[in-house]
Amino acid sequence: MNWKAIIVVIVALLVVGVALKPLEGPIWEEMREREPALRMEDLEAALGQGGTIGLLGGFRAVVADMLWLRTNAVWVAQETAVIPATETLIRLTTTVDPRPVYFWLNGSRMIAYDMAVWRVEEAGGYGEVPEAVVRRYHDEQAETAIRLLQRAHEFHEERPEILVEIANIYLRRKEDLEMAIEYYHRAALMDNAPAFAARIYAELLRRAGRNQEAYVWLKKLYPTLDPTVPQDLAPIVLSRIRELENELNIPFAERFQP
Amino acid sequence: MTPAIKIENLTKDFPLGFGHLKLRAVENLSLDIADNQVFGLLGPNGSGKSTTIKVILGLLAPTSGSCQIFGTPSGDVSSRRDVGFLPEAPYFYRYLTGYELVAFFGRICQVEEKRLHDRVSEVIEWVGLKEAAHRRVGTYSKGMLQRIGLAQALVHDPRLVILDEPTAGVDPVGSAEISSLILNLKDQGKTIILCSHLLGQVEDICDRIAILNRGKLILEGELSDLVSKKDLRSLVVQNYREDFNEELASWLKAREARLVHVEQPQYSLDRVFLEHVGRSELAREKLSERAEAAMESKSRPDGGRTE
Amino acid sequence: MKKVMFSPDRIKVIAKNTFLEAVRQKFFGFLVVIALGIIASSQVFRDFNFGAPELKFIADFGFGAIVLFGSVLAIVATAQLFFSEIENKTAITILAKPVFRSEFIFGKFIGVSALLLVFTAMMTVILAVLLFWRESALMEIDPEGFEAGRMVAYADVFLYGLVQWLKFSILCGITMVIASFSNTNLYSVILSFVVLLICHLQYLARDAWTQMDFALVQVAVFMLATVFPNFQVFNIGDQVALGESIPIGLTVRIIGYALAYVVVFNLLAVFSFRKREI
Repeated sequence: MNWKAIIVVIVALLVVGVALKPLEGPIWEEMREREPALRMEDLEAALGQGGTIGLLGGFRAVVADMLWLRTNAVWVAQETAVIPATETLIRLTTTVDPRPVYFWLNGSRMIAYDMAVWRVEEAGGYGEVPEAVVRRYHDEQAETAIRLLQRAHEFHEERPEILVEIANIYLRRKEDLEMAIEYYHRAALMDNAPAFAARIYAELLRRAGRNQEAYVWLKKLYPTLDPTVPQDLAPIVLSRIRELENELNIPFAERFQP
Repeated sequence: MTPAIKIENLTKDFPLGFGHLKLRAVENLSLDIADNQVFGLLGPNGSGKSTTIKVILGLLAPTSGSCQIFGTPSGDVSSRRDVGFLPEAPYFYRYLTGYELVAFFGRICQVEEKRLHDRVSEVIEWVGLKEAAHRRVGTYSKGMLQRIGLAQALVHDPRLVILDEPTAGVDPVGSAEISSLILNLKDQGKTIILCSHLLGQVEDICDRIAILNRGKLILEGELSDLVSKKDLRSLVVQNYREDFNEELASWLKAREARLVHVEQPQYSLDRVFLEHVGRSELAREKLSERAEAAMESKSRPDGGRTE
Repeated sequence: MKKVMFSPDRIKVIAKNTFLEAVRQKFFGFLVVIALGIIASSQVFRDFNFGAPELKFIADFGFGAIVLFGSVLAIVATAQLFFSEIENKTAITILAKPVFRSEFIFGKFIGVSALLLVFTAMMTVILAVLLFWRESALMEIDPEGFEAGRMVAYADVFLYGLVQWLKFSILCGITMVIASFSNTNLYSVILSFVVLLICHLQYLARDAWTQMDFALVQVAVFMLATVFPNFQVFNIGDQVALGESIPIGLTVRIIGYALAYVVVFNLLAVFSFRKREI
């Protein structure tokens, strides 16, 4: 082998590498911004060296997809014994590839809703298990799911779906109206929030007896709605405003004028 | 006149792995090969023949010394414009047809596109592969491979043709045909360098030879000077009887000549084979005179020699 | 005697022959079949009823198949074609003609690169067709998932194919450099895969060298990060699959980076092959 030639090749590549840094540097900065960091410790513990290299080598999405398919296979089996396994798989999937919001949302739904039911049924079913135990199972699963979603929020601060999902779990599983209100509020304030988030926020305020707040919110909301967009449901919002005006006994002269 | 090849003090070393150990493949070789002749480069395996050819073709750089082809240094790509080369045991792109293969090399040698078809057809016909021109090279026999190899070496009409073991693995009929093609090339005014182990063939067609051993030139000269015994003649006599010997010997003695040996002449096996199997009239015709001569010379290793 | 000049025509002849030889290799057909099989097997995702996200799964698997088999093809085909020329002595026959070594190397490169283009284009088109077909079907089943219209950015799928082809071409150049100074096919293939792995992981060194404690380690890690190109910059598939578009400026710079390395590795292969004794 011609060692002199090899050394020349390496030196040349070094020079080229330095020369191309101004081109490569900004590209890499931009690419990395789009890439959430990998948590190496978690991954190596879970996948071993080989799997990690696969991930680092550019097959991250595929590895995550495979994990998600495993999760689904286990989930379809619906056995209590697999609750820890399913939870681990969900956590692993989202650790490997935190980018798809889909994994976070669907994973949290499995944990909060399906697994709570599995646990109750394992303990004897809804008729048999004491109310307090059912409550505890629901609570525990809801908390696990919320923790998962809060991590999701760290990766996807700009995504209102995650806050809506947290709010829904507070509402349906933990029956914690105040927390649900808070999360719907945060979601509704985001630029890309779905139209329903603002309406449900107001609805929940009413349910909590905070009619005045709901009224103020809806009055501010209405002018932002687009009557040509069906999802905005402008007429319904207006009728809610009217209902609140009646409930709050707002004098006719002070009523909202669209 | 510029010689076809001029090699001066050529030495070629190959490094052996790490360290500074070297294998000397060719040592201080000087050789002039004049234009328009068939030159035989002979030697046992490992004698430096292949290395010398690779230096001539610019595939290897000399460690020291120089090599020129028609006056151009062999390291220069331009020197190969006038060289055609048939490598030993050629193995070509198997999926190409014979025609496509020769056309490929023609394009590589920048034969003009408008002349390419005619030229390719011409050389293919010339080497006797017209019928097989549109078959894949992968289906060719060894002899056909050598001939298509010869066609690709000639496609750009070079002045110098280097043939490395052109008849290795080819049957005697094919071998004889290739010999006759080589003689044809010489008639066209080309210089041919022939590397071969088949000394019979070399003897049949070469004008000059050089013998290499362990990288050194040990013998070089006109073939006729090297092989014929100028002071000996042999007679071929019909109805000869053993009792003639004594009388003949004394008749010769009276004229200051000596009867060395009497032996029954034999045809060479090559010739017997060719006459019985002979697939090609061309080869037989072309070689008939030489075969005749060969028969005589081979029949007298010990006998038939008269003084 | 007329001087022989460097000739693009000869490069073209060698490239065309290299391409034809490569296409007719069983290995190419084998890879195409396997890669198609993997892309087609993404049909199993239908069983999970993911709805619209099924498209992400198909895209991920399709991109994964393209990257994996394209890389294997780039390395194995390059080494194979290079060494078959040497071992079958066809290289001797060609180089004994008035041909520059650089023409031989460029011809080989262009031939293999054309093969890689055919492979990548074929896979990308099939993937795009599959995505389009499933997307159309899913749009009927689950209109809500597609309120904003089609989800797959098909232009980006093809952009992905283009960028991967450039990456494979760099890999072909790397293999060519390695093959030009090594003696066996197997050695070249193994070393090229090692280099491929390093190129994919070099970003770790790239981002870490300043944090090293020892000067010597720092120099070593810096070398690692500088000598090898950063292959992660070509890894745009995940974003395409997530429906995030790639800004045009970024794309142009990625392509420029790839082309620079294609040229560099070709020149280095010529340099290393120039004095090779055949």
